[in-house]
Amino acid sequence: MFRSAAFFLFASLVLLWAGLAQLNHALSPLHLHLFGGGLYVVFAALRLPSASGLILSCLAGLWCDAASPIPFGTHLVLFALAHTLIRKSRSHLDTRHTPSLVLVALLSNAALWIALTSFLITRAPIIARSAPRLLLDLLLSEALIALIAPWFFALQNRLLLIARHATGSTRPSDTFHNRR
Amino acid sequence: MPPRFDQARPFLTLALLLLVWLLVPVFLKSFWRASFFEFQAPIDATASYVRDLQEYWTLRAHSKHELIEAGRDLARINASYALAVQENATLRAQLDRQHALLQIPPPPEHRLEHARVVRRDFSAWWQRLIIRKGRNYGIPTGAPVVFAGGVVGIVSEVHAYTATVDLISSPNVRLAAVIEGDARPISYQGGLNPTLARPRGVIEFVPLDIAQTHSPTANTPNRNGAAPSAPPARRLLTSGLGGVFPAGLQIGQITQLRPNADGLFQSGEVTLDSRLSELREVTILVPTREREQTAEATAQHQ
Repeated sequence: MFRSAAFFLFASLVLLWAGLAQLNHALSPLHLHLFGGGLYVVFAALRLPSASGLILSCLAGLWCDAASPIPFGTHLVLFALAHTLIRKSRSHLDTRHTPSLVLVALLSNAALWIALTSFLITRAPIIARSAPRLLLDLLLSEALIALIAPWFFALQNRLLLIARHATGSTRPSDTFHNRR
Repeated sequence: MPPRFDQARPFLTLALLLLVWLLVPVFLKSFWRASFFEFQAPIDATASYVRDLQEYWTLRAHSKHELIEAGRDLARINASYALAVQENATLRAQLDRQHALLQIPPPPEHRLEHARVVRRDFSAWWQRLIIRKGRNYGIPTGAPVVFAGGVVGIVSEVHAYTATVDLISSPNVRLAAVIEGDARPISYQGGLNPTLARPRGVIEFVPLDIAQTHSPTANTPNRNGAAPSAPPARRLLTSGLGGVFPAGLQIGQITQLRPNADGLFQSGEVTLDSRLSELREVTILVPTREREQTAEATAQHQ
């Protein structure tokens, strides 16, 4: 069950990455860049078992790292940390309702973005001189997350259902319910 | 299991993961990075081919009349370029003779390799291009990349059939430059990329006697008695030092110069070409050894 679920969910993350990459390509003449890091971790942290969710978040981190000119493993560490913190606060969240997931995605996206920016500013302080651009990028990224997160979580939910059908599992999985 | 340990288990798992990651050998990390990138490359390349097809069908919609006009204009431009090529060959021959007479080593020779841009990645953190040629075309790491407006950047990573180019507007690109009409090298660094505006870079160690614009004679009224136009901004060019870029390629225009607090040098800003963020095709200057071998053969013959 886990293997097919992880495969389908990883495919959805690759789709998200490809979509964001094309969107950023199209926005490059305007000097805008959108970041969707929060979407890579939230569903895996809230709807999958702990170990499989962590593995999926780490894989997503490595995928993002391969396309970025930063030390390999930076996204991995950030995503793993975000996964752990979200997982830790899971008992306080109603994970069956999409608005809760969207809120967590917004918060985690902003936190990941700030962490990544801070890390890059320590390496190249000149980045801090583009503060208005950085702020605008963050605001637009949050707007994008708010816009696409419901669709993306619905897609991931549907993919999990397909994975269950593919494996013929009838066991009510903790992937669909809030295991408190 | 004690409840306290159960509470801390996610963090212990995270700590264990980080420890394992730190202990993974570098060659294994490099291998994983390359593997993940090669998985991504077909996605980018497919999107690029789809865009090319889209552009092709858009061009197909043009009328024959427009195509005839474009062909005529191109023929005129080609004629001008043919003359320039002849002139260039004559000048090159003169330069070669002078180099041989003075026994000066010839400048590095390059092969021009044109490549389509697969993806542009222009965040405030970094500016990169992925191009559709890599090891399959002999592209080396560190090769300079140019376009009609001057310098684009440097090839930072080479993969099987794609390569990554760090743009000169990227904060991690530094190079030695000279100001047009002056031979003293100064330091250039990219990094200022405001929204809806041209990218900018930063220059440092500019001598105090250099002004931001050309000589003030441009401020005098012109022959028609019209108001004087603003003096043109000075261009920043590659210095040829460091052996990466040939000398004389345009980087940008100096828009600001101010003395440093120490009073020894000036710092300033350079506005880069606005087309950098819209590039669809670039040229890679692949170093060749033919010219060096020719020079060695000439020296041996003498």
